[in-house]
Amino acid sequence: MNLPWPERARVGPFRDGAFPSPLHDQRVAAILGVALGVAFATCFATGVVSHLIQHPPGWFTWPARPAGLYRITQGLHVATGIAAVPLLLGKLWTVYPKLYAWPPVRNLSHALERLSLLLLVGGALFMLFTGVANIDQWYPWPFFFPAGHYWGAWVTIGSLIVHVGAKAPVTRRALFGGTRLADLAADGHDGRGAGLTRRGFLGALAAAAGVLTLTTAGQTVAPLRRLTLLSPRRPGIGPQGLPVNKSAGAAGVLDAAWDPAYHLEVAGAVDRPLRLSLGDLRSFPQHEAVLPIACVEGWSASARWRGARLRDVLERAGARSDAEVRVESLQPRGRYRASDVTHVHARDADTLLALELNGEPLHIDHGYPVRLIGPNRPGVLQTKWLSRLTVT
Amino acid sequence: MALPADRHLTGSGPPGADDPARGRLFWAALVVGWAVIAYGIAGGLDNARDTQPTEIVRWFLGAAVVHDGLLAPAVLLTGFAVARLLPAPLRGPVQGGLIVSAVVVLFSLPLVRGYGVRPDNPTVVFRDYGPALLTVLAVVWVITAVVTVLSYHRSRRPSTVPPPTMTSGTSGK
Repeated sequence: MNLPWPERARVGPFRDGAFPSPLHDQRVAAILGVALGVAFATCFATGVVSHLIQHPPGWFTWPARPAGLYRITQGLHVATGIAAVPLLLGKLWTVYPKLYAWPPVRNLSHALERLSLLLLVGGALFMLFTGVANIDQWYPWPFFFPAGHYWGAWVTIGSLIVHVGAKAPVTRRALFGGTRLADLAADGHDGRGAGLTRRGFLGALAAAAGVLTLTTAGQTVAPLRRLTLLSPRRPGIGPQGLPVNKSAGAAGVLDAAWDPAYHLEVAGAVDRPLRLSLGDLRSFPQHEAVLPIACVEGWSASARWRGARLRDVLERAGARSDAEVRVESLQPRGRYRASDVTHVHARDADTLLALELNGEPLHIDHGYPVRLIGPNRPGVLQTKWLSRLTVT
Repeated sequence: MALPADRHLTGSGPPGADDPARGRLFWAALVVGWAVIAYGIAGGLDNARDTQPTEIVRWFLGAAVVHDGLLAPAVLLTGFAVARLLPAPLRGPVQGGLIVSAVVVLFSLPLVRGYGVRPDNPTVVFRDYGPALLTVLAVVWVITAVVTVLSYHRSRRPSTVPPPTMTSGTSGK
């Protein structure tokens, strides 16, 4: 079925030759498409890993070692997303004339293809925009960011799979079908307007990705720290040299944390429920560990933590050796007021009920009087201002 | 050297001109991809309190509309202005500098505007990003200037390739 579209309705950008620039080119689209495919696959895989760690189904166990694995997967997630910003904008510019395809709809399958492209374009922009706004802690939308970003990712990656299937042959042809990279530099000499060549265009996008990476990656890659001009965080900036995600004031724990009668409850599946004061916690063998805070927002910073081992406290309470623990904060409400510690992490020698950070008692914004810190856990699961451990 | 017509994305070639053969890969990806999309939609609806589906749809579509309706036309007009105002040898490098600058400005706008600033937590959005952005842009334009000079000299050197013409538009088609 071909719809009758009157030729005289074909005006403005719908006209033949409305986009003469050599940058609207299949080979450019193919190169950027492959780069974006790799970037989005990386973001999707690392994002799903982060989701599984925070909402583990029965079949999933996240290891405690290597201790810095999560800072790598999540650092990669955020850095890749940032670098994808110019690639996506460049790709959309390259294929922009296709928005004004004529006729706008040829038949049912053409309409469906354009609908799935709307999901892909809207989804890709949505993912990068919400991700960047989130690391800037800017929330101009009413939905809960992790939920929107997570379910949006499935829709986006699904439409990307459809797109890859549809475009694989044309991409292969454009990449290996004869044009060489040198040809992409010759655009200025063919009378098409002597602007940016295709190679120059790709170079500018790569430069933009490079600038964004160099000025942000230092939030997790230590050697680049001095270049963090455009990152929302910098390791080293914050109380005791460490950034903070939620302050004690915002969590509403100031009174409870400073209370001299503070104690930590240990209850649940234990032989001897405990009520531990700060002094009691200090009477356990004190262990020191250098562990990173690795935030889902892509920044990370190592610090020296000191306190009682979680496993020593569990042993004193008479918990089973494969015990799992629900850790609760003094924080009265909020999604991140509690976290679960798997038996793998609970047994690890470096999982601490930390009392000190970099040689000083914990700053109130880092979880005074006591916080959980364990190897290879996302920052949101390193619960601060502990009030209760429930063993299961 | 003109580009082969079927390689140029005018969006208007004869029907099916750039439609690939719809082989096994096409149909497999179609089925798997739409299953994944359906999983995402079902999950989003299942968690409606958190995702607020009508809002997500608004932001999905809004992102596409803002890009296609505002951002891309702005790029188009800028490119047109550059082609009109600058001599040919300067156009490429300046367009490159503008691309990098636009990306950096868009990316850092929420920081410069301080949308995420919290009085209780100075460790996030921790600096004044205006000067930081200007520093980055200054470096970008110094490099752009160097590239411009080099490309200008190259364009004046005699060469076997025909020199770039001053005409813009469709004359080469």
